[in-house]
Amino acid sequence: MRFSVDPWDPAYGASLVESEPAPTGAPVAADVEVPPDAWAPRRPPPATPLPPAIVFVDGVRRVDARTWIEDAPGSAQPGIFASYAAGAVRCDGTATVTAAVVGRGLFSASPAAADVETRAGRFRAHPAKDPSPEALVYALHDRMAACEVRIAEEARRRGDELLVLDGPLRTRGHLPDAVGVVKTHHVRYLPAELDRVVGALGAGERTPLFRVDAPPFSRCSWYLRLPGPDGGPWAGVVRCEIDGALAPARASALADRVSLALPRFASEGHKDSRAPQNLYPIGGLERDLRHRLGDAALVYRALRAASRAGAPGGGGGVEAAAGIEPA
Amino acid sequence: MAGSQPPPVGRVIGTDDATPLAFWVALAEGQYLQLDDVVVCERVVPGLDEPVRVSGVVAQVRARHEGARFDSDVFLVADGVLPAATVEAAEVVTTRVEPEVYVPPLPGSPAHRAAGAGRDQALFFDRMDKKLPIGLGRDGQALYANLEFVDGTRGAHVNISGISGVATKTTYATFLLYALFHSGVLAEEAANTHALIFNVKGEDLLFLDHENTRLDDAQRDRYRRLGLVPGAFGSVAVFAPPRRGDPNAGPDVATRTQGVHAFYWTLADFVEGELLPFVFADAEDDRQQYTMVVHNVTAALARHGERAGDGAWRVDGRTLRTYRELVDLVVEKVTDDVEGPEWAGRAVGTGTVNAFVRRLLSSQRALDRLVRADVPERARHLIETDGAQVTVVDLHNLPDRAKRFVVGVTLRRAFERKEQTGTARPLLFVVLDELNKYAPRDGDSPIKEILLDVAERGRSLGIVLIGAQQTASEVERRIIANSSIRVVGRLDPAEAARPEYGFLPPTHQRRATIAKPGTMFVMQPEIPVPLVAEFPFPAWATRPSERDGPDPAATGAAAVPDDPFVGLPGSSSGP
Repeated sequence: MRFSVDPWDPAYGASLVESEPAPTGAPVAADVEVPPDAWAPRRPPPATPLPPAIVFVDGVRRVDARTWIEDAPGSAQPGIFASYAAGAVRCDGTATVTAAVVGRGLFSASPAAADVETRAGRFRAHPAKDPSPEALVYALHDRMAACEVRIAEEARRRGDELLVLDGPLRTRGHLPDAVGVVKTHHVRYLPAELDRVVGALGAGERTPLFRVDAPPFSRCSWYLRLPGPDGGPWAGVVRCEIDGALAPARASALADRVSLALPRFASEGHKDSRAPQNLYPIGGLERDLRHRLGDAALVYRALRAASRAGAPGGGGGVEAAAGIEPA
Repeated sequence: MAGSQPPPVGRVIGTDDATPLAFWVALAEGQYLQLDDVVVCERVVPGLDEPVRVSGVVAQVRARHEGARFDSDVFLVADGVLPAATVEAAEVVTTRVEPEVYVPPLPGSPAHRAAGAGRDQALFFDRMDKKLPIGLGRDGQALYANLEFVDGTRGAHVNISGISGVATKTTYATFLLYALFHSGVLAEEAANTHALIFNVKGEDLLFLDHENTRLDDAQRDRYRRLGLVPGAFGSVAVFAPPRRGDPNAGPDVATRTQGVHAFYWTLADFVEGELLPFVFADAEDDRQQYTMVVHNVTAALARHGERAGDGAWRVDGRTLRTYRELVDLVVEKVTDDVEGPEWAGRAVGTGTVNAFVRRLLSSQRALDRLVRADVPERARHLIETDGAQVTVVDLHNLPDRAKRFVVGVTLRRAFERKEQTGTARPLLFVVLDELNKYAPRDGDSPIKEILLDVAERGRSLGIVLIGAQQTASEVERRIIANSSIRVVGRLDPAEAARPEYGFLPPTHQRRATIAKPGTMFVMQPEIPVPLVAEFPFPAWATRPSERDGPDPAATGAAAVPDDPFVGLPGSSSGP
């Protein structure tokens, strides 16, 4: 029996969510670069120009406490207090965290939700679509993603940097030269015969481009295998996506640049539990951002204290620390 | 320090404990602190009108990557792959808290590099009425010791430890003397203050009154920064033992021909001064039973004899002119059946007498040129400290036994004279290297007693011992304990770990093992951390080739030992 061990820490699940990932419902066009019957692993030409600088943008979030907000006597709605942060690492010879913002929010569908002032800072009220736990987390994620977009826009200094965002592009597609790097594959985009090309990828090789049209987003995507230990057909494979509106030639050139630039940043197993897909700059940035979120126990205590004071609506006179996201 | 302060060098960190005695400062971008830099922080304490100023010196500096977790991350950081911040932090050991409210500086408080009055306050220089320059700090500014802890007002004695050859102990001792005499710290007393230096190794202390021709302008400038005018000692007298076999008893020195006096004791001096016990001052004598015989013979010699002109001594009609004759007479008397009990003492066994005789006979070679009455008596054959500001007694040609004799006798004489005058001032400074030979930790000897007397009572008598040794662990504890100022040069690593150097903080102990020649760690009672002082190249000659003027005795240069300052960049322009 031949078997391989997935390089990711089991706590994170596998990089390919097994049990047959759901096929996408969106139409997929696999003929952006080559016709489907000519699909084969592609290695970026060595002459491909490397970007002068790469900016990695990522965000982290943490639910600090769950809460029930009383909006009428005897009736309460769920909410979450959460901290989130977004930042950017600029790699142009040295890797530097160039920007980081921290925000704290109260996410709830309750109309009674208001800003809460605590010793750990002000938690701003943000509405959620509905009281379901998924909607609350989505509202938090939305907030964090908005931060990331702003950071990404600010992080670009000269215009020709490559912008690498952690996770799918979603609303960030309008950023020029932005590429989303997806580590976990929840959705199957390719038919089985093309999926085999993914399994055949060598380190540093990519699949041809394919377009996914899922309004309102249109994306060009490809799979790239990062250098790492053997671990099954999907080990070390990331999916990259870029704006689907790009002309095929530009999209192809961008894919080559990204595929040539990224393997250098692939992490090693003993340093990152999601190696190699969790790139070094992203891992370092996440640690930095988590650190900036502050001590969870301290924030929790501050929230408990604020709830005992029973004073939503702020006015506690706690000054906002520098770097806190403005409203 | 108020007013136009430069920007802070950093801030007190909160990830390590800040205590009133030590704290860490993270350095701001573009700033640096080096070891021994003086740092000051302030803290507001409720109820106090002025902020508490916590000052200290940098004992350690560290730099690290924050954000890196593995050693190999350094390569990722260097490749620009992993983001990490380089942060430097300095450990500050508190020297002073003013006013004395012992609170730690709070994390986040700005830390400033102290200069001018702030530095003086941090290092207690503002409290010193009489400041003795002890060298330059790493910042190129003068460091001081409080003279009150040298001259006996509140403490006395200096003890210097360090490896021979690289620790430059003797040179530092002479530098301290130079500073004492020339910095004005002794004021008008300087003229009457005397120093007695025992030169135990080589002839390198015989040229104190010659300017050093190798002294360059950079070194001269260092003297000026210490408030000193570079130059040689003004008034120096050199005493050397008589040349062996020289009928005129000329001084036995190879490289200095002028201004050297031969010293010796006449037999009359020897008997009347009761110097015989100093012949039996070896460690091996301490274990013997004949101490009583020594004292009986000493007394009998005086009782049965009389002066016989030219320093000779006459016993029972026999005129003794040489040490050999004296030894022969004593041997004869103590072994005589009739006179034996009278000379050696009653109820003394034959074995004990024989042991005494053996030791006495073996002393002839060491002492026959030092104890003599075979030359016309001269006025100046005894070692006097009054004739010049600095008196150098050259011992380097003498065997150990003779060295002990000279040191013991000379110290006792100086001590007795001080006792007689009954006044501490003017002071007498005594420089003695190889203390471990004269006051070893174990055993007893007449010399050790004298040195203990000096250490314990010298403070009130006005005798200040500047002692030095390779290893403080081998020297009598009470002598070290009585030294207010302790100095350490380059130390052997195994020696540095001994409890005798407990006054050095761990980082200083490690630094002492790599200290350059010319670098000394000076501990004084008022300042809780040792000051690291670099003293300038000697402005006086330490060997014939360095002295100015003609060098008539150039052939003797080969006998001169290695320059203790080898390795010290002679042209270094300070830190």
